[in-house]
Amino acid sequence: MPLVIKDEYPEKLFREDGKRLDGRDKTELRPIKMEVGVINNADGSAYLEWGNNKVFAAVYGPREVHPHHLAKPDRGILRVFYRMTTFSVFERKRPAPGRREKEISMVIGDCLEPVLFLELYPGTSFEVFIEVIDADGGTRCASTTVAALALADAGIPMKSLVTSLAVGKIDGELVIDLSGIEDKAGEADLPCAITWYNDELSLLQFDGDMTLEEMNTSMDSAVEALKEIYEKQLTALKSKYIAIQEETLKQQESKTDGGEE
Amino acid sequence: MKEEIEEVEDFEEDADVTREIVVPGEILTDDVKNLYPGRGAIFNKEKTKIISLSIGLKQVRKNYMNVIPLRGFYTPRAGDKILGVVVDKNPVKYKLDINAKDLGMLKPKNTIKKDKGRMGRGRSRQGDRNSYDEMSTARFDIGDVLIVKVLSADRLNSPELTIVGKYLGKKIGGSVISIGPHSIPRVIGRSGSMIKMLKKMTGCTIFVTQNGRIWLKGENIASERLLIEAINKIANEAHTVGLTDRIQEFLENEIKKRGLK
Repeated sequence: MPLVIKDEYPEKLFREDGKRLDGRDKTELRPIKMEVGVINNADGSAYLEWGNNKVFAAVYGPREVHPHHLAKPDRGILRVFYRMTTFSVFERKRPAPGRREKEISMVIGDCLEPVLFLELYPGTSFEVFIEVIDADGGTRCASTTVAALALADAGIPMKSLVTSLAVGKIDGELVIDLSGIEDKAGEADLPCAITWYNDELSLLQFDGDMTLEEMNTSMDSAVEALKEIYEKQLTALKSKYIAIQEETLKQQESKTDGGEE
Repeated sequence: MKEEIEEVEDFEEDADVTREIVVPGEILTDDVKNLYPGRGAIFNKEKTKIISLSIGLKQVRKNYMNVIPLRGFYTPRAGDKILGVVVDKNPVKYKLDINAKDLGMLKPKNTIKKDKGRMGRGRSRQGDRNSYDEMSTARFDIGDVLIVKVLSADRLNSPELTIVGKYLGKKIGGSVISIGPHSIPRVIGRSGSMIKMLKKMTGCTIFVTQNGRIWLKGENIASERLLIEAINKIANEAHTVGLTDRIQEFLENEIKKRGLK
């Protein structure tokens, strides 16, 4: 007998104590965990856990373009492949790339392109493969964030990192970092991404209903939260090297101490 | 084979290298009056700050703010000595995998020394036949390991290679290992101190090339393995201080432990 689960959302997206369904405040992020260099055979790679989202990103390049007709003689191209695994969502996702995935791939590519120096690598391609292992709202933002990390890990010259976050409106209240259920049942959803070298928006999408003032307010709160995520990105990139540095320092110190005794 | 190391411009071993790790987009300095962006750094849009382009170590040299990259890919430059593997050949050229975006091209005319005395003035039939043979691609087979020099390289076309020159040519036996091209200066060390030490302690012949590949051949497999372990340790700890001493100690301990020599 097939298991039938009704696709229904709760009536209220806030609990009685004023917090959200997962116990967060309005301007509180979900827990974020980042790691770089997780895939050995890739030129650069990163892994991100953002709430219930789990995303891998791998970067290859610069390398030859296949199919060859996509190559541009004056500049390199950035190709992004955003894919969701079949088990990443509640109902099995068909594995063929659909309209949504192609769109998100394009959006992420356009969002990351301004920070790269593609004109220095004519006739080549940089390829970013993003695999969503587990999805719970805001995967395009999570994917953009982790793709920027993977590009930096690959040693590709970049003007800065890119950080992304979705803000929105649920039950008439402005909140940041929408989860899956808030995304579906809420009133408005506003994913945005920022390039840090000029503090410009690189991605802005909008879906729902919001006044102009509300949009300005949510953008302000988004920038605050983006800074918080950016710090985590920096730590994730550096920690790998700093750990080795500290370890060697510790070894040396213990050696000199032993010598003196 | 004696001193066969390539003189690589040695940024890493400078005294004014800080061990501060920076990532793309990080502000290196606000002091734009006295400092210019050098290698791996650019001005921001308003020219009020110098920002880093890649993940690496911060360095101030004269008036320039540099970033020594820790990750990245190899870009061929004219004059580089590199290690290539023949992956394809046709009657007019060999194609070599040189760890770059394009395959390197080695033409038969670049595999023989030009002998002016024999050319032009009435040569014997024997000489003619020999020179004809030399102009074919029968000399090397697919899978051969060659040390080559880059004759010309640009962003768009495949680099042209030569094996005419000192220390260039086919390598027989031994092993080839691959590390990141940015760790190569550390394997050589300041004026070759590290590589001299490695050779002396393990008794192996080493050829370090600029595309991140190292050819090595030892008296026995045990010393080769020890050397590979040491080189991987160098690549892993490339951004730390006191590396040569630490590697020397590591080798001393391991030689004692493994009972080599």
